[in-house]
Amino acid sequence: MVYSEECAIIFRLKGILEFACQLDNPNGSQSQSTISKSFQGLRSKVSSKNIVFTVCNSPILIWPNTGFQSSMESLTEASACGDILQYIESDDGGSKKTLKKKDKKRSGHTVVNLKLLFEVTDPAGNEAPSLIRVDTQQHCVKMPLHLDCVLSVTTEESLASVCTGLVETLRKQLAEMEEVVQRYRKGSSFLVPQPFHFQLPEPAGLTTVIYPAGVPDSQLQAIREDLHRKFELPSDRPYLRRANAFHFPDVAYKDGYLRNPHIHLNPPNIEDAKLYLVQGVYIYHHYMQDRVDDDGWGCAYRSLQTICSWFQQQGYVETAVPTHTQIQQALVDVGDKEPRFVGSRQWIGSIEVQVVLNQLLGVTSKILFVSQGSELATKGRELANHFQTEGTPVMIGGGVLAHTILGVAWSENSGQIRFLILDPHYTGGEDLQTITDKGWCGWKGPEFWDQNAYYNLCLPQRPKTI
Amino acid sequence: MGRSYFVDETVEKYLGGLLADPGSCVTGFLAGQSSPQRDFVVLAVQTPQRESEGQLKSSRGSGPLDDIDVEWVTEHARQVSRMLPGGLCILGLFLVTPPELSKDAQNTLKRLIFAMDKCISKGRLWELTEEDVTDRVTLHICSKTKKTVCKTLDVKDPKSSAKPADWKYQTCVSSSWPMLTCSVEVDLQIPLTGSSSDNTDKCMKDCLTRWAKQIEAGNCLISGRQALDDSELISAQKKNLKTTHRQTFPARILVSDEQPELDERSSALVQLCSGSVRVRGVVHCRAYIHNNKPKARHAVQAIKRDIINTVSSRVEMFLEDLLISEGSRKGLCTGQQALPRRVFAPMPFSGLSVCDYMFPDESTADVADRLKEMLDWETPEEDIDISLESNQLFSPELEMTDSHSDDSRKHVISEVQVENPHIHKAPQYYAGVAVAATIALLATATSLLYFSE
Repeated sequence: MVYSEECAIIFRLKGILEFACQLDNPNGSQSQSTISKSFQGLRSKVSSKNIVFTVCNSPILIWPNTGFQSSMESLTEASACGDILQYIESDDGGSKKTLKKKDKKRSGHTVVNLKLLFEVTDPAGNEAPSLIRVDTQQHCVKMPLHLDCVLSVTTEESLASVCTGLVETLRKQLAEMEEVVQRYRKGSSFLVPQPFHFQLPEPAGLTTVIYPAGVPDSQLQAIREDLHRKFELPSDRPYLRRANAFHFPDVAYKDGYLRNPHIHLNPPNIEDAKLYLVQGVYIYHHYMQDRVDDDGWGCAYRSLQTICSWFQQQGYVETAVPTHTQIQQALVDVGDKEPRFVGSRQWIGSIEVQVVLNQLLGVTSKILFVSQGSELATKGRELANHFQTEGTPVMIGGGVLAHTILGVAWSENSGQIRFLILDPHYTGGEDLQTITDKGWCGWKGPEFWDQNAYYNLCLPQRPKTI
Repeated sequence: MGRSYFVDETVEKYLGGLLADPGSCVTGFLAGQSSPQRDFVVLAVQTPQRESEGQLKSSRGSGPLDDIDVEWVTEHARQVSRMLPGGLCILGLFLVTPPELSKDAQNTLKRLIFAMDKCISKGRLWELTEEDVTDRVTLHICSKTKKTVCKTLDVKDPKSSAKPADWKYQTCVSSSWPMLTCSVEVDLQIPLTGSSSDNTDKCMKDCLTRWAKQIEAGNCLISGRQALDDSELISAQKKNLKTTHRQTFPARILVSDEQPELDERSSALVQLCSGSVRVRGVVHCRAYIHNNKPKARHAVQAIKRDIINTVSSRVEMFLEDLLISEGSRKGLCTGQQALPRRVFAPMPFSGLSVCDYMFPDESTADVADRLKEMLDWETPEEDIDISLESNQLFSPELEMTDSHSDDSRKHVISEVQVENPHIHKAPQYYAGVAVAATIALLATATSLLYFSE
């Protein structure tokens, strides 16, 4: 991976604009143009000289529409936008130097957060206030529009062009919001338009889509199909479900779980080997999490949870990751286990994992049987193919243990292989350092497996849907 | 340790010059600025005489102290507090009594202080913070010996007793106080649910309160810099300049449209309204801050409060006025009506300014009369600055309604209605009790300024 000097900065501008309008007759023909006029008013507002961008965690203020005024003398319209970074205080008090170099390489983006404000001083005239009363019965509509614009630029781009770009993006977003509002409006029922950002394959890049609040992904299929066509995206994997939204590197996940701990590892040093890894995002589930003491019996359950989290994170399902009890109940529901199974501490294996994935998530899986652990070393091609086409985490059970395989490093020529293992037997807290240092997520050789035991692998298949 | 009041010596002169009929009392207010360490008094004004047609002044109680019309005193204070720019407020009351009544003076002052505070804080749209000083000063002066007793009462705690305080005279207390100014554009769209005018008042008050919170939460720049931390208003380098003139700092306010109550909804809030009210225009604001190492954030608070006060005062005055003129609760009529505009005049003795609100059909002569009555001070008409807010009304652009024809749009925005001339000549100063009688036209005679019972 080459570290490019001109790394990208994402400028993210957020702000709230109140949409308000008065409708005499929400079902009448005039309402559409009234709504349009209100949106036009908002577009003028963001083009007015009163808007101000404030750079979060810094004293910088910029007036983008008054021939570029900034509150910092050293920042002019010609300054490179990367110059802003030195004025920003990061939340942990330290500077960007504390971020490990390889982490920075991997995240690739620096995010500069801006907030949209309006100046109320410096008015155009000085007419003293007056009161205007209108006495017609009207429907008064109010909703906050949460604007969220992104602009991806190189550090060399001038501040002036970044600001112009952001204002343009604001106007465009308002136009797109208007479209969504008009399309989903029923009489006086208005759905709030919400922006979502998606990292699409080049050339589209970081793209923003407006979805109506309250309408589930399942009902937005047609919209996604249009967008897949527009951006030339494959029609068998989801890119534009809400769960696929781009995760900004500077925003902490609220749930406290670790995601993709494997990205912090160095790949094994095998000549000629290629990496075939899990695609997308999964959550590391392991012993003792969520105050469930499953030490000694829950390893397959945890591996199953990791797999379920993958389907949730990629937007294939909206249901939450199942608990041990829910997993057990699912097995009872299909008749695979007796009712007393629920609440017990009985182990499950790959077959049960396959059954539950089907029952709770509608996901089918392939089972791969290996009669001896030593044979796993020969399964390089199959595993490589799996990670290339499906890209889902693999649950492996055998001997007395269950693990999750996140990828392989395999040389087609020499046949040498290493397995990227996520170990559910870890009982500690969500400490990335310990997990990577102590190998709870790590690369293992073929000797890792019990050479004499037989193993079953559950390979979940990705649904071909958007 | 009690509070220290630094009082301008012009106040000393004014208090010394008060004439009281033998045996009677004089009340009045004291105004200035409080800071956490010390307080400054820059103005003292006696309560104007209240003349009523029938002599109601037959003793109700056991003496002149009981005759003090608490409502009248507090109403005077309330109306004057509208005239004070940001940073300044009514700090307390003074009472001049003959020697024989001195021992009861403290009780009277206590009654008056609590009543006054309640009256003044009624219409307030912003909340007090922990840093706000809640002590009010009471000054008792014996008419014979001229001896003064200064104490403070904490209006937060009605059960507390008066604490002694220092009263020191100084020259030119406020001459170098910096002034902050700004002009703020206001554009509020207020939907009216329900049809009674009580409802109208409530809708307007709710909307104004929300707007006030926006202003309070806004970023403020003073002379281009944000007051982000505990920094001082005047940076070290500027302090070296020995300036005796007043520095003026322009302020800029930046707000965002936060609406926490609407945030979680997935659909818009739709209300069926009987109409709407729009308040739109530009207000000119001013605030003063003492020059004893003032913090930038106190200055910011002062100007923000002035912005909020000036808008809410005008709306309040307009509605009060409407109440008097209409008599019945007819409420606002449709169309565009001008709210009173703000004019500034020099404050008695100090170099600070006071403001007043002029209705469209009034003139500077009316303002001068009001200043005389409220502040016991002659103001030459040319000193009254009416240029800061224009009496032009903005012309409303396309209204955001879906009325079917252009005609109906013109219909709702009728011409500016000039109010019945009688009403506005009357000062805002009235006793707050229900008034039914007609209001006399203003003539030069001050007696015509009072309502007949």
